[in-house]
Amino acid sequence: MKMKWLVTAAALAALAGCATKKGFEQPGFAFGCPIGDARVSSMDDLVKAKTVVEGRRSTVVANEMRCTKAGDLIKVDTNLNNDSKSVKRMAYKFRWIDQQGMRAWEEESWKPVLLYDNSNLVISGISPTNKAVDFRLILRSDE
Amino acid sequence: MSARILALAALAAALAAGCAKDTTRYGDARGVETVTNTFGSTDLQMMAESMARSMQQAPVIISANLPIVTVQEVKNKTSEYIDTRAITDSIRSELQKGGKVRFAVDQAGMQQQTEELKRQQSELYAKDSAAEMGRMVGAQYRLEGNIVSIVKEVKNVKDVYYKLNLQLWNVRNGLLEWSDEKEIRKTTTRG
Repeated sequence: MKMKWLVTAAALAALAGCATKKGFEQPGFAFGCPIGDARVSSMDDLVKAKTVVEGRRSTVVANEMRCTKAGDLIKVDTNLNNDSKSVKRMAYKFRWIDQQGMRAWEEESWKPVLLYDNSNLVISGISPTNKAVDFRLILRSDE
Repeated sequence: MSARILALAALAAALAAGCAKDTTRYGDARGVETVTNTFGSTDLQMMAESMARSMQQAPVIISANLPIVTVQEVKNKTSEYIDTRAITDSIRSELQKGGKVRFAVDQAGMQQQTEELKRQQSELYAKDSAAEMGRMVGAQYRLEGNIVSIVKEVKNVKDVYYKLNLQLWNVRNGLLEWSDEKEIRKTTTRG
């Protein structure tokens, strides 16, 4: 009887171990985000693949990104981390890409955000059309 | 003597003004605009984009097959002049391009619509191709809202807070199907 419990516990632990790695992903997706053929094996890889920093470098970095579907639209949540002792101002926008790799939508407006010192901020984006199958998050220092 | 000095000073000022060169350049229409802290293009774009994207996710929009919406007035309850029509026009354009919503003629466009219908009913037009009376489609939902602001000002600091609230009402049963808000805060510090 005790053995049965041990086996069950081991099976659950193994399942939990699998689940924390990347979840039960569809091929071509990582953390819910579309990745195409790109090799993404960690959150860092995903953030690197999806984020473009323009203009001056800043201490603010994207360190976490997750996507989900809202109907037939892509919803993206990204955590920005300000690892400095001062308030930082950033601007961001999403670039939506269609099946052919072309722009699925016109360029979005820059959205200014303020990050307090040593803090995190989650920014969200929703694709404007179901033609968008991929995206890039564009970050820019607004100091 | 002093009149002479004054005349010389006036001449120098006029020359300086004449020499000041105006430079005009094209800018980024979607860039962050912080010239003053009154309602600006960035505020308009952020509000329209946020609201349109939020409305596209509303269950009533997702589940319905191209629902028909009419846009009503966004009431300006701020202390400054804001063309609220520009906000609703931008939201309408974004939703229309997104392809999830159809728009029925609104109150502002009704007169032009009926005039055009009447014109086509005149003897000038071929009866078989003219738009018929009584064929207009009524909206299932109406979009309305308001924008408010709170302004606080002390000696060197002016703080402005804007809040746009939009609501989508079911015309048939009067139910509120979707509502959302977008807040913006801007602070100007002198010196």
